[in-house]
Parts: sequence; C-alpha cells; structure tokens
Amino acid sequence: MKLFRTLVLILIPALLGATGPIHYGKPFTVKEETRISDILASPETFAGKKVKVRGVVTNVCAERGCFLNLKGDRKFQELQFKVDDGVIVFPADALGKVAVAEGVISLKVISEQEQKDMCPIEAKALNRKFDPAKIKGPMKIVRLDGLGADLIN
Amino acid sequence: MHLLKRIPWRRWNRALHRDIGYLAAGLTVLYAISGLAINHMADWNPNYRVVQAWREVGPLPGDLPEEELTRLLLARLKVAEQPRASFQPDQDTLDVFMKQGKYSADLPTGRVLYEAVQPRPVLYAFNRLHINAPKQAWTYLADLYALGLLTLGITGLFILRGPNGITGRGAWLTAIGCAVPLLYWVWWAFLR
Repeated sequence: MKLFRTLVLILIPALLGATGPIHYGKPFTVKEETRISDILASPETFAGKKVKVRGVVTNVCAERGCFLNLKGDRKFQELQFKVDDGVIVFPADALGKVAVAEGVISLKVISEQEQKDMCPIEAKALNRKFDPAKIKGPMKIVRLDGLGADLIN
Repeated sequence: MHLLKRIPWRRWNRALHRDIGYLAAGLTVLYAISGLAINHMADWNPNYRVVQAWREVGPLPGDLPEEELTRLLLARLKVAEQPRASFQPDQDTLDVFMKQGKYSADLPTGRVLYEAVQPRPVLYAFNRLHINAPKQAWTYLADLYALGLLTLGITGLFILRGPNGITGRGAWLTAIGCAVPLLYWVWWAFLR
C-alpha cells in the first residue's frame, strides 16, 4: 500500500508536468513577445532581428517536422517558423496547439527557379495556392528563422 | 614482430567483433529499416499515414466572425468535440483543428476536407530515433553505436587469415567497397 501511494505521488506530478509546454531547440533569450501583425506590417524594420512570437500552429511539416506556420493576431495572417532539417523536429500533432517561437526575421526574395527547386510541401506552406506550373516572377517571403520554440498543449 | 606474435590479438579481435556485433544488432536493424524508409521520402511519408475524407455541408457565409463560422461548420458536420483552434487563411477557407485532425472548409461550395495524420506504428519511432529527434542522451547513445560500427568495420577486416582474408580475396572486396562511394562522389561532384 505504501509503495502504491508513493508511486501515485510520483506519477501524478509527472503526468501533470507532461501536459505543460514542451521546449524544442535553444533556450529563449528574448523576453518581450512581438505581435505577428507588427512584423508583417513592416518586415524591413524587423529583418535580421531576433524576436519571440506566439500563435496557433496552422501548419506543420509532416515530412521532416522542419517548419511550423503560426497564426497571426489579425485575420488571414500567418508567419512561418523554419528550422534547418533535423535541428528541431516538430511532431505533426502540433497542429492547432499554441506555440511560442523565437528566431531571427528573414526577408527573402525567391526567384522563379528557386521556387521551382523548393520542397513542394514548404512552398505550399508559404503559399497555399502554390502550383509549380503557375510560378510567375520572384516571390517575397517573411519568415522566422527558428532557434527555439515551446509547444503548449 | 616477435611481440605481435606473443599477443593473441586475433583472439581479442574476434571477441571484440563478436560482442560488439551482438550489441549493435538491434540498432543496426533499426537504422537499416529506417534508412530504407527515409531514403525514399520523395515517394512517400515514412512517418505518418494521412487519412483524408470529403464531406459536403452546403455553402457557409464567409462574412461571419471566425468563431461563429467554426461553430456553424462543426454543427453541420455533427461534431460535438471542442476544437483546439481555427484559422482563416483567406476569405474562402476555414481550417478547424481538432485533437486528431483538421477540417478544411471551402466556404462558397461547402466542401470540407478532413485530414488526420497518424504516426505509422514502429516506423515512426524508428525514424525519430534515426534522425535523433529526442536529442539529449540519445545523441550519445547514437555516437556510441557509430563508434561500435567503426570498430566492427575494422575488426571485421582481420577475422579471417589466408586466401580469403585481408591479404587475399578480402583486399579486393574491401577495395571495391571503398571505390564505390569514392567513384560516385567524383562523378557526382566533378563530372556530371
């Protein structure tokens, strides 16, 4: 009986702890959170800067777990949090969970050829209507080059 | 030379090869199966099985607030479960995230795609370990395994003596084994 009680006392906090945030990658260094809408409103101001953002996960790479899309605080907005393959591997069940993510804002212009060479899943995550046959001209993307993230259940 | 003859190094070599081989057998199977699965990632998803189903719920009013739209969609789908979250990527689309999957509705037509991503039994675990998703202690265990494989490779060269050993047939086969990646790299990096 004593053993049972001890096990319950150990297991309950462990199980409660398992429902808390799970951290991936490097520890956070930025204290203040930045709104995704602010970043998307003037990406040039944030380019190259380290920021921490929060949002619901609207898309996750189910192949390599190498990116998350985060819902913005304004309608129709999302921001991609991208990590190098294998550095962080996000599980597919992150979809719909809240993520707090830290990284460096990158502003890139992707040429037609680069779009054609891109991983189709990543390209589709950046532009839902992506069709390799309909690529017209370069594409400007704002992305969070990921360092670390918390997934909150 | 005299000293080398006195030390029973072949016996030690065989014992090392045998015992590391036993220890590495399980992980070798894991890495080999996962390697085959991951190698063909372009053709299939080795981690998850994606289940898709289409439903028709009739056109949905795109001018409703997202929360109301979500409630309406779930009511039409007769889903009682509380959603995790929702998202409107554009005026015509609503994504509703459930614990097990996602409903993606085309509002003007009312066509709804349900997608659930389910981890493949066993393979998912193998692949996660192969790519070192857990990090932490697994990094060191995988390092140990790699060192074990290195030891197996080297000790394996000196198991046999005579014409089938490293001074005979073994030398040719080892040379072929080394030449294949080398020649492939030369072709891939400089000649193609």
